[in-house]
Amino acid sequence: MNMLARRMRASAVAAALCLSAAVPGLAFADPMRIAFGDIATVESLHLLAALERAKEKGVDVQVTFLKSEDIAAQAVVSGQADIGIGGPYALLQKVKAPIRIFLQLSKLQFYPVVNTEFYKEWKDLNGQEVAVHSRGSGTEAIMQLMADKNGIAYSNISYVPGAEVRTGALLQGNVKATIVDSSGKRILEKEAPGKFAFLPLGEVAATDEALFANTDYLSKNQKDVEILVESILTTWREVAADPTSAVALREKYKLLPDATPDMVADIDPYFAEAAPALPLNGGGEDAAKDDFDFYTISGALEGNAADLKVEDFWDLTALNAVLAKIGTK
Amino acid sequence: MHMAATPHKVSATGGAGSGSSTIVETLAEFARRRKSFWVVVSLATLFTAWEIAGRVPISFAFPTFLETLAALIEMALDGTLLPAYAITFQPLVIGVAVSAVLGIGLGIAMGLSDKAEWLLAPVFIVLQAAPMAALVPLVTFVYGIGLVAKTLAVIMLALPVIVLNSYKAVRHVNPSLVDMCRSFQGTRLQQISKIIIPDATPVLFAGLRLGIAAGFIGVMLAELLITPTGIGDLITYHRSIANYAHMYAAVASIIAVSTITLAALQYIEVRFLRPEKRRK
Repeated sequence: MNMLARRMRASAVAAALCLSAAVPGLAFADPMRIAFGDIATVESLHLLAALERAKEKGVDVQVTFLKSEDIAAQAVVSGQADIGIGGPYALLQKVKAPIRIFLQLSKLQFYPVVNTEFYKEWKDLNGQEVAVHSRGSGTEAIMQLMADKNGIAYSNISYVPGAEVRTGALLQGNVKATIVDSSGKRILEKEAPGKFAFLPLGEVAATDEALFANTDYLSKNQKDVEILVESILTTWREVAADPTSAVALREKYKLLPDATPDMVADIDPYFAEAAPALPLNGGGEDAAKDDFDFYTISGALEGNAADLKVEDFWDLTALNAVLAKIGTK
Repeated sequence: MHMAATPHKVSATGGAGSGSSTIVETLAEFARRRKSFWVVVSLATLFTAWEIAGRVPISFAFPTFLETLAALIEMALDGTLLPAYAITFQPLVIGVAVSAVLGIGLGIAMGLSDKAEWLLAPVFIVLQAAPMAALVPLVTFVYGIGLVAKTLAVIMLALPVIVLNSYKAVRHVNPSLVDMCRSFQGTRLQQISKIIIPDATPVLFAGLRLGIAAGFIGVMLAELLITPTGIGDLITYHRSIANYAHMYAAVASIIAVSTITLAALQYIEVRFLRPEKRRK
């Protein structure tokens, strides 16, 4: 009798455990799993805020931060994430995975910079060494594009991953000519005013980061995707209209709680600089065509830019539906 | 998949008409005489499985064996592979050489002297247990991103293995041989040079081989975690532009080079240093 009671108790506990494990799974049967290709920084603050807004509207967003864009793309390809962040053009072209980009988040914003002790302008870089992020990266493509435009050739291109690493190397004098991001530019201007010159850059419009997902996921979860796109576009427009609103968004949604005072101080200047370049209409066909031009030069895409088809890389359904609702800017 | 059929299968189907029992016998006889037969069969099985897995495909980003082979040949012919190896080998060769000299020296010292053991053994045991992939990025904080940092990464992986194996080798020298040396009134120096080191040689060499294998791991970690150069650059670059066949080819080639290096070292050891182990 005692034995039976013990057994029954054991089964009851086991059943309860199973049920408690299964119930949350049922309640949120279909979370939207988003894979970032980098850790969350000040630069992704507006995106984090937009995700919070999508959550408010009932989309169960789950965010994972991965080590690199490649890994985020692989997570989407293998179905371990629904939506990835990055610029997976090469992957889309070479791997026939049913992945499409559906929203442009940001454009490449880089600043070629030289140490004025050695160089003053593009022409001075003829036959000199420059440092860029990595082989086949956007930074290399920009430097190569500008070399072609100015009729010069570098003696060597060295690869130093990380804009903050290149900024440090520039300050230490290990690198004399390179290309940095906007936070690197601000550090250089603050640490050594006048020591470095930023070289003029022609028209470079290419996607830095975009959202992409499996076509299957996009068609099955159209409503959620539209909510996400709308949250992002409205947040983008808000930040573009008033760059200081980024700080308010951080406070409202308690984002980046571990940010250091230095990072917090960087929010305003970053968005003041980034706001005019934010894509307010989510990229779409025009952005895709710009990307074809740029990435065929960078080597990420093969073939002739004019021959590439937008529908092979982008799925515009959600974006067009949202733009019809909130209008274009 | 059919192209990767093993050579013995081809001959088996080709001669099926003349009676299968003799074919099997000849094959068994051939396999008995040449040990390399089984190596070929093993590799052929692996590559066939790879080809099938690639054709299923198990992932959109997983190339078939033949695609990978084509990519490898392409990289070998267009002159990207050799210069890449020239760059990868610099930190590897320097690092392994330093680790071998320093490691065998320290290991023997630790085996012979209790004081050296007391001082060094805990350090190397901790180093061997430490997850080096987590420590390699820290090297850059002190030594930057150049050759020194990468060589150091190789040493960090190779040195503890070599030291600990050398130390064990000396500690496990047959005590009756040492006693014999003492009976014959051998000096301490003779004991070390004539008994301990020769008797420890097999394990010393095993340590050296493990150290070189660890050195290959170290150089790849350095090239993937510090800055992409050499083979590490080929892997990262082809991954970033989604040339997965080329990426797998670069990975497979470094595995092959590492295996061949170790096999060559074993051959040299058996051929020249330990004649008693040679197969007659």
